[in-house]
Amino acid sequence: MKFLLKFVCSIIGIVLASGLPVLVAGFVSGEIRLRLYAETIKNVLASLWPIQDIAIMNFRAQREMPLFPDIFAYITYSLQILFAALAVAVVLALLLTVLTMMLPDRWRERVKLGLYFLESIPDLLVIMLAQLAVIWIFKKTGILISSIAALADSPIYWLPVTCLMILPMVQLYRLSMLTFQEEERQLYAEFARSLGYSKALIVLLHVFRNAVTSVFFQSKKTVWFMLSNLFVLELMFNLPGIILFWQENMTPEVFLITVFSFFLPVFLLYSIGEWFFLRRLYGREVL
Amino acid sequence: MWRQPFFLIGFTVLSLLLVSSFAYEWLWGTVPQQVMFLMEGDRVVEAPPISPNWEMPLGSDPFGYDMLGKIILGAKYTIIAALLVAAIRMLIAIPLGYILAVYLQRHRAWIGGLADSLHYIPLSVFAAYVLFPVLWMPQGGFETTLWERIAIQILIMALLTAPIVAVLIGNEASLLYRREYVMAARTLGANRLRLVHRHLFPQMREKLAVLYGQQVIETFIVLAHLGLLDLFLGGTKVSYDPLAADPPMSISYEWAGLFGNSFRYLQGAPWLPLAPVAFISIAVLSVSLMMEGYIRSKNPKVKKRKLSVKEERVIEWNREELRKKMVRLANRKESGGVPHDAN
Repeated sequence: MKFLLKFVCSIIGIVLASGLPVLVAGFVSGEIRLRLYAETIKNVLASLWPIQDIAIMNFRAQREMPLFPDIFAYITYSLQILFAALAVAVVLALLLTVLTMMLPDRWRERVKLGLYFLESIPDLLVIMLAQLAVIWIFKKTGILISSIAALADSPIYWLPVTCLMILPMVQLYRLSMLTFQEEERQLYAEFARSLGYSKALIVLLHVFRNAVTSVFFQSKKTVWFMLSNLFVLELMFNLPGIILFWQENMTPEVFLITVFSFFLPVFLLYSIGEWFFLRRLYGREVL
Repeated sequence: MWRQPFFLIGFTVLSLLLVSSFAYEWLWGTVPQQVMFLMEGDRVVEAPPISPNWEMPLGSDPFGYDMLGKIILGAKYTIIAALLVAAIRMLIAIPLGYILAVYLQRHRAWIGGLADSLHYIPLSVFAAYVLFPVLWMPQGGFETTLWERIAIQILIMALLTAPIVAVLIGNEASLLYRREYVMAARTLGANRLRLVHRHLFPQMREKLAVLYGQQVIETFIVLAHLGLLDLFLGGTKVSYDPLAADPPMSISYEWAGLFGNSFRYLQGAPWLPLAPVAFISIAVLSVSLMMEGYIRSKNPKVKKRKLSVKEERVIEWNREELRKKMVRLANRKESGGVPHDAN
């Protein structure tokens, strides 16, 4: 029930956002175009159904082209890269966290401080350095690790995924370090230590379970951050993804479709995750 | 706060950038130094874009203008814009957040859901989508002045994520609202305004300061992303000439524009896009240094731990006395109840 309310609210919010440029354009010329705004939203909603008929002016072909089903290729490519990067980032962050937890206290603090400053590197710098590194290696050794721009028939995968994964990984790493340390201070962890269990066992068996739940709830912001990164990535690598497609066709319809293509999978992921974790949490309380 | 090295370093770097930016304009005007070609003896060695050398540490752009000069000139626009956007956003979000927590307790669920929808729209994409009609020069030229556009852009960028920040503050405040001391104050008859003023706001002051720092960083990044899309601070000059169309130009030398104009030169002249991005990184880094320094000055965890380890005179003395007594007691037992030093 709560999910349904959230779902409906989110959809309303997104639809309201899709008409905003009209309001802004009105604001620039000094008038409030509320009626035009309502009209735009109504038109957008009306044109969304039937969904097969949405057409976009294609400048190369000089005629209107239907949006579906061609657009699914863009959407799947973007989502593949997004979720691959997310999965790699989560796994690496948790792995590194467990390893760091074995270190003595002083080193942990240093790692955390280092991560904090690493976080402030802009994504643009990461991508540019990655591209320059590939070119440099190619010049030195003649080996092309990966092509740095995608062509229509050969999508590239692992280099964009690597670029997209680095910063979220750093963020999640620091986040889970904080959560793990918080969890380690709890009574049950101290009790386990006083019983003489080793540090590795406590962290892996007891702390890990509880900390992961908390990291999951806080990781939503990282996904949001990744969406912006994905956008830069698609532009700089010229990836045939949905955001690049949107950038070439800035209409409210394409905006809505772009946002929904992210909204549905991410919302599903978080709703299922929330349901799963909360059920486990409450189940334990009943016992 | 002013004694924290982290805070001081960050503050110095940021203010140096700002001061040098104003000083440069005051000393040499708004046009950076231009070098058409590098001569060695009487031979032309290099034409623009000139690679970095001692005279021009960051090289020059394709028209021969000094990159360092451009970056210094643009520093004030970008830094002040980022600080302002974050400040306006906080000014809008803080009252809204408290109203949400104190007056609209029952409606928090759906308002939160509505604001939550922004979490699924990539922020830079959203900003570009909304700002496009303001910043992209229409066919007939701009109707607005440069400063109007800058003001509108700053205001809109501040408004974009204000709902998210407001909900964040609201959640935090409503957690505090249920605390016992707030309950006590309510029972004593404090009205809601007073609760916010005396209890909720002082408790959250540090968190709000950190939130402000995060907003500044976010704004820097979004400005850079907008630059990538050729949407520059204060508008983009577009040439609609069908024959000799110039690339879109930034009107001021702000960093997003410097980067957006040049990221296609990454392979040929990597210093062109790298320099502005490096400076954005420096600015972001100094803001996060300031934040870390601020947090450390507010809860000096590290010092406390050292204090507890530090030896206490009184305890040491007590321990010493105890040891002496124990030794004496043991001696007494050994010698069968007759004390050694009886005589």
